[in-house]
Amino acid sequence: MGVRRRTESLRLRVDPIMCDGYGHCRELAPELVTLDEWGYPILSEQTFVATRKDLIHSAQLAVRGCPRQALWLEQFGPRN
Amino acid sequence: MTALTSPYLWYSARATGIVSLVLLTVTIVLGTLVATRVGGNAVGRFELNEVHRSISMISIAFIAFHVVVTVIDSFVPIGVLSVVVPFTSRYQRLPVAIGTIALDLMLAVWISSVFKERIKHSSWRFIHWLSWLCFVSAAVHGFLSGTDAHRMWSELVTVGCITLVAASVVWRISMRPERAAGRTAHSPLSSGRASRPDAASSRVGTKDSNANRSSSRRPLTPEPAPPRAAQRERRP
Repeated sequence: MGVRRRTESLRLRVDPIMCDGYGHCRELAPELVTLDEWGYPILSEQTFVATRKDLIHSAQLAVRGCPRQALWLEQFGPRN
Repeated sequence: MTALTSPYLWYSARATGIVSLVLLTVTIVLGTLVATRVGGNAVGRFELNEVHRSISMISIAFIAFHVVVTVIDSFVPIGVLSVVVPFTSRYQRLPVAIGTIALDLMLAVWISSVFKERIKHSSWRFIHWLSWLCFVSAAVHGFLSGTDAHRMWSELVTVGCITLVAASVVWRISMRPERAAGRTAHSPLSSGRASRPDAASSRVGTKDSNANRSSSRRPLTPEPAPPRAAQRERRP
């Protein structure tokens, strides 16, 4: 993880092979995850900057709470 | 090692042993509820998962206390080696060995869960299956070596625990959700964004999966058409 620079942007990602539709991520990060009609997550395509501590916190809860460990937080370099 | 003995040590060992069995039962029942995707309306699924993790930690603390007290109490000759290596105890060799096996299995489940992010998920899952075996050996250990094992109240507790875990096994096998049937409804914690009106109809079982699927499709249509009676009234 390391130090996050202010200009970094982040995005919650899912491994669709690992995901089994437990739906914990929807409960833990409702602002980033919606569910399709079969209970699988649809993640927000939108990236968010590292200053959004609330979104980072939600995303980390979802990553930690996934029973299949199908989620991760992807980091991009500075946007230009 | 000096002879350290006190009735209270022995009482503690007995009491924590029984409490540990109850806590293991609760942990297994909660884990089954997580695996069968119970929750979503009144209680969040992630909350069941967190309670499962927390109570497993509490049961580890109780079991650690049980083991440490048993070893330091010189009333029975159980050495330090017998904590992890089965069949090394001079006191009640077989029952203590079964308890040792239960502890080893529980350590395996615990350590694999601590390093869950470092190991393959399938490995973790395989090791986690051993928790059933851990419960069985713990129950047998309690029944064979427990000082109070043949008292009425203790037998009631043991039979209750075994019944709960057996019910969990049946539930786990019979209610195993088919793929794509495990949709969750909205947790009350998720703020009402994009709330779906059919949240209450979400179930875990497989029987209603078709009914659920059709009903959950409804909110995707943008605006429900007004009923025909209303249309008729508008006509001149």
